[in-house]
Amino acid sequence: METSRPVVVKRMPERLKLKQARALLRELQPILTSDRPQLVFDMSQVRHLDAAGVDMLLHCMRETMKRDGDLKLASLSEQAAVILELTRTDRLFEIYNNAADAMRSFSHFMPAAMRHGPLHGATAPEVSSSEQKAGNGQAQIAA
Amino acid sequence: MDIRAILLVGPPGEGENAFRTPAETIAGTPISLFDVLGKPVFHRMVQQMSRWGVNAITVVSELSPASADWFQKPAGARHMEAGTEQLWRVAENVFAEQVHAGAEAVLALRVGPYLELNVDELIQFHCDQRNRVTQVVDGGGEALPVFVLSASRRNDAAYLFRHQLQAMRVPGSKYRLSGYCNRLRDAADLRRLAVDGLLENAAIPPAGRQVKPGVWVGDGARIQRGARLLAPAFIGRRSKVRSAAVVTRCSSVEHHSEVDCGTVIENSTLLPYTYVGAGLDANHAVLGLKRLTHLRRGVEVEISDPKLLSVRSSSAPMRTLASAVSLTGFLPLQLLRGLFSRNSAGREPSPSLPSCNPSELASEPGAGGEREFSTDLVVARRYGDQ
Repeated sequence: METSRPVVVKRMPERLKLKQARALLRELQPILTSDRPQLVFDMSQVRHLDAAGVDMLLHCMRETMKRDGDLKLASLSEQAAVILELTRTDRLFEIYNNAADAMRSFSHFMPAAMRHGPLHGATAPEVSSSEQKAGNGQAQIAA
Repeated sequence: MDIRAILLVGPPGEGENAFRTPAETIAGTPISLFDVLGKPVFHRMVQQMSRWGVNAITVVSELSPASADWFQKPAGARHMEAGTEQLWRVAENVFAEQVHAGAEAVLALRVGPYLELNVDELIQFHCDQRNRVTQVVDGGGEALPVFVLSASRRNDAAYLFRHQLQAMRVPGSKYRLSGYCNRLRDAADLRRLAVDGLLENAAIPPAGRQVKPGVWVGDGARIQRGARLLAPAFIGRRSKVRSAAVVTRCSSVEHHSEVDCGTVIENSTLLPYTYVGAGLDANHAVLGLKRLTHLRRGVEVEISDPKLLSVRSSSAPMRTLASAVSLTGFLPLQLLRGLFSRNSAGREPSPSLPSCNPSELASEPGAGGEREFSTDLVVARRYGDQ
């Protein structure tokens, strides 16, 4: 199954707390309210994540699902992975090793990428911009 | 034979641990000061010495102001607080005092690692080998900061203390420890000690009464109705486990901690005065001092959000005040929620969301395969929160 709709990759900031979460939501509002939004959050930079940050992720997921889209997480840092596991929200998201895999997953089923995801002990490799462009040529990088 | 002991509390271990923090510390506080199953590690060492008939025990401590709050004076031992960088000098003076008071052998140990010593056997070995100083090594032959000093060998003792228990003036034969040993280098070792205590691999009985097989509860601990404690588990004194919380798989909730509603504590240790927020899932971790050390991932994460993890006050009135404040905040919120949920119940369903009645779905003529399900079943999307 191929999809011609764009996948938006957003690199999350180092701190994802109330203030940053609000700013991000404002920034993402046009994407979230578009038709069938396909979003990937690159979490490799996240070092500080709190309940407001997790709430923002859930809000984004809810909004994308309302419009028949989806939100996927990629390159989870250990700090983000620990908080998502602590708040039991890790099981609500599809999590991929890198943004390219997450992007491809919108058009292909990728069981191997999910099996070796960072939540199961593998290291999360960094995503280079060339890797992102090589995704499927549909990515819009929102750094 | 007159045997005395000097326990040194505070000096950090060598190098860094697996979590890239100074060895034998968590958040800068020596691990030996933290409670394990209701008692600090160094208290357990003092108790052990007393049981072996050590005549006088002196605890010499050198702690930073933050660590000093965690220090609890041990019963049955004299305590001396050394000034900054004075620990080894004070230890040397205490040795001289003990010899003057009639000691024939002095046991000097730095309480970093937790170990179970057979003091009689150690002293016998020291006398048989005619050592001036005997060092204890673990089963693998690695040196431990535990020494027996002959009272007549003051120069050897001075040399040892001046070299911070790292070097001996005249090397002697070493005593191999046959009992339990845990180096307590990091949070993983602290966790292992708690597990070994609960499984009776280490002689550290939980400080509490056994309310059911394998579940120990300290004095004044409150376990609300609906909370579930699965053996083996330990709940420290004056701790709170709120409704629908689960404490399972060798978990240890140390004194004055609180596990909020619906939280699962699995194979984890809560350090004293730790609050864990509602609806969380802590597993394979050591939580406390606004930090979560995830043992499976080998990572230490600082958590500044008090909804997730916080430190409870060590003062009882402050804790009561904090509870009262949270209650006064909670009640109006619940009233408001009650009012709004009643309003929304009377509202028309949103046009964007189709009304979904399970009984209608089951009786739908086209859904032939789904008819076999009963009406109280709901099919949920796998990766969704709804």
